[in-house]
Amino acid sequence: MALSLTVNGDRRASAADPVTPLVDILREEFHLTGTKPVCREGFCGACMVLVDDRPTPSCLMPAALAEGSDIRTVEGLGTGDALTAIQVALETCDAVQCGMCFPGMVVTLTHLLATSPEATRDDIRAALSGNICRCTGYERIVDATLSALAVK
Amino acid sequence: MSEISATMDFRRRDARDKLRGRTRYTMDRYLPGMLHAAVLRANVASGRIVRLDTSRAARMRGVRAIVTAADAPGKIGIGIADHPLFARDVIRYDGEPLAAIAADTLAQAQAALATIDVEIAPLPAVLTMAESLAPAAPLVHPDWRDYEVLFEGGARSGNVAWEATVVRGDVDAAFARSDVEIVESSFRVGRQNHVAFEPRAVVASYEDGRFHIETSTQVPWTIRNATARILGVPPSQVRVTVPPVGGAFGLKFDLAIEPFAALLARASGQPVRLVNSREEEMLTCLFRENAEIRIRSAVTRDGEIVGREAVVLMDCGAYGGEQIFLTTMTAHTLGGNYRLGSTRLVSRAVYTNTAPNGAFRCCNGVYCTFALERHTDEIAARIGMDPLAFRRRNVLGDGDLGATGQVFEGNVLAPMLDRMDTLREAAAPSRTLADGRLFGRATTVGTWFVFVGPSAATVNMNADGTVTLVTSGVEIGSGSMMQSLPQIVAGTLGLKPDDVVVRAADTDAAGYDVGVGGGRTTVSLGAASLSAAQEVRTKLLKVASEMIEAAPEDLVMRQGRIEIAGAPGSGRTIADVATRAQAQLGPVSGTGAFTGAGVPAMPGCVAGHFIDAIDIPVFAVHDCDVAVDPETGHVEVLNYRVVQDVGRALNPRAIHGQIQGGVVQGLGYALHEEVTIDTHGRVRQNGFETYRLPLALDVVPVEISLYEGAPSVGPLGTKGAGEVPILNVGATIACAVANATGKRVQELPLTPPRVLELLLDRKGELSLSHIAEAWVDNLVRPHGTAAQNRK
Repeated sequence: MALSLTVNGDRRASAADPVTPLVDILREEFHLTGTKPVCREGFCGACMVLVDDRPTPSCLMPAALAEGSDIRTVEGLGTGDALTAIQVALETCDAVQCGMCFPGMVVTLTHLLATSPEATRDDIRAALSGNICRCTGYERIVDATLSALAVK
Repeated sequence: MSEISATMDFRRRDARDKLRGRTRYTMDRYLPGMLHAAVLRANVASGRIVRLDTSRAARMRGVRAIVTAADAPGKIGIGIADHPLFARDVIRYDGEPLAAIAADTLAQAQAALATIDVEIAPLPAVLTMAESLAPAAPLVHPDWRDYEVLFEGGARSGNVAWEATVVRGDVDAAFARSDVEIVESSFRVGRQNHVAFEPRAVVASYEDGRFHIETSTQVPWTIRNATARILGVPPSQVRVTVPPVGGAFGLKFDLAIEPFAALLARASGQPVRLVNSREEEMLTCLFRENAEIRIRSAVTRDGEIVGREAVVLMDCGAYGGEQIFLTTMTAHTLGGNYRLGSTRLVSRAVYTNTAPNGAFRCCNGVYCTFALERHTDEIAARIGMDPLAFRRRNVLGDGDLGATGQVFEGNVLAPMLDRMDTLREAAAPSRTLADGRLFGRATTVGTWFVFVGPSAATVNMNADGTVTLVTSGVEIGSGSMMQSLPQIVAGTLGLKPDDVVVRAADTDAAGYDVGVGGGRTTVSLGAASLSAAQEVRTKLLKVASEMIEAAPEDLVMRQGRIEIAGAPGSGRTIADVATRAQAQLGPVSGTGAFTGAGVPAMPGCVAGHFIDAIDIPVFAVHDCDVAVDPETGHVEVLNYRVVQDVGRALNPRAIHGQIQGGVVQGLGYALHEEVTIDTHGRVRQNGFETYRLPLALDVVPVEISLYEGAPSVGPLGTKGAGEVPILNVGATIACAVANATGKRVQELPLTPPRVLELLLDRKGELSLSHIAEAWVDNLVRPHGTAAQNRK
């Protein structure tokens, strides 16, 4: 029986086993490779997607559980060529290095911007505890988030 | 030379796509007809292969190709060719490859692996350097004498894969002086995993009799040459291209899984993708090596270091790899920082039946600096001198001799220490903490270098006024290829950096390059790029001088124009000149090449070294405040400060980003990133649950001061800035924790249990009985005697 998933607003079908991790269907079938499977244990956050607006590690979610939900990957956050507010802030702060963690960071921070407009530096650091970055030492990411919050 | 400065906080052009998930790293690549590969790995540390039967796997659904040791005849190595692609007859570590399979899907490849019939007869294993160096220990490489030697000079014997020595002056006489204190310290550190977020990944195809390898690497030319050597084909049959690399940190400075995919692509006639699983990365990454160190110094009561000797044991795992080369670095790291009287050092790369180690940001330097700086504090305590005053008295300055007798230029460390005083005084935190935690502080110095070496660049002038920079450089995340290189080229030609198109690495398009690592990108590739751009400039100015009717030396290139100096708006656009040049003479281009000239050491001082002296030293001063919880052993870093010698900062903001990131990687190493090996020889930390990386809540903003103006042969006075930030972090944290607790810190990482052991005096003195009491007894053969490798 085919899975039916709503990804970035599109209805997509997959013939994969229902317990296949969502990340693998996004990447291997739909070629949405912005979502990165890095640890596959739910610690690193590089595979974070929004499932009904909630940041969710897609490596731990069996695809069948995402049926009927609105799945939004990093590719589905902006409109056209425009960057979102958090993407603009991260670019402006020169926060990006290797870039592997950033799709997941952007997903988590998109949610933070939407739900915690008053977030402090410590709130942001706490919100990022499920998103690991090996390159940057985090500070620029926190700074960028604060600047995005200030603009809002 | 250039009319507009190359210095600016230029943004990186790859950020937008990385932020939108559009960047296709190697692991994201997908080709028509692409197969998926998986590798069967041994599950014992030492054994003899009795049977390896792939016939059943070959009949499994979806399987297109299987390759084994018979398909990969060559051996590779640095210094010694000891490393085959697959275990041949003998297994030397848990995780060693046995066979590789390509199938239509990854699940099919993995299912087929499970049907390979393997029988292994266990052999005795040596899992620690103490076991490996014990008398009558089993040899990891019983045939070590028969291996091809790729670089002469290292002493070798049995489980000692390589030994490098430094002897300068009469150390025995120094230690025998009546006016000295003898201070001895021992240290031990574990391994560190790079945890590059993109694992090793490759997509290979075989077309027209040549391999095309797209791979996540720092070293395209090494991949080309080493793959060819492994496969037994001419290197010209291998083309390597490199998509954006998702983190490397030294992990990708060596050949990895590329030959598996190449062999499978040739065997199947289809493109093959192979991506390491996270578990494979955790268990078989080329870790920063574990090391054991004893260091002794003879120091006068007024703080002169008249003699120093050290023994450094570096675990190379089952194959020599990078550690063979890294034995060289001890002379410049542990032997760095300070003016020394007589000196003798031995670094030994030791084989064990464990996963091979490799390169990791400031290889060797991180733990040698830890050992040296903790030892320095112990010396200062012994002679009753303030540790900072002791450092100030002894740091290397202009005209001082390094360990191998090279003469250092310029006073760099002393003014850097002054700069750190200013940073620290501005902060002025209290010395007692209200919550009962123990306060500690330390300032350390470190010596690192730029790994110069050959680089090539071509700059093609396009008639539209842009240029294309063609090199074998790779963007691994540090930004050098996105920022400093286009800045250098643009500054030379009066263009905007955005007008410099940067070609991704392709060994078919660009000349040889050592690779992106060792702080060498901006220096070596930068120098080659600068020289290529200067050739273009000369050619354009010649054509322009005819067009503008002015002598070339009266012309300047600025803001996209070639103008008469002092007359803005005069002259022509660069595009006009390039168009004219193209029509009259053909397209304009320039080529550049660079390599380190080499700096002399003192004759006879070194043996077994790949580099006798360092072309470009790089210095760092770090300082931190910590709070140690006496109840839990938890160490909190309160402040962290860095003064870094950068030569010249082309992009200060980018360098600050490297320093923050490098320090945090160092904090992980210092405090909680721990790799341990179980009694069967397997790495215990197989994922992120057990390997504790720094999180956003763990870190502090690093206070940074860039020290400019130190001598450098780098282009525009630059030095590498991205590698060195991790150098003294372990040292600084260790010295601060020792300062807070009054205990002798001898090991890293300083996990809460280890700190509690220290606080409760449960930790006995570190004993390294496999390091012989007399320095000379640690040597395979006396320093300076002839090589006996071939006997």
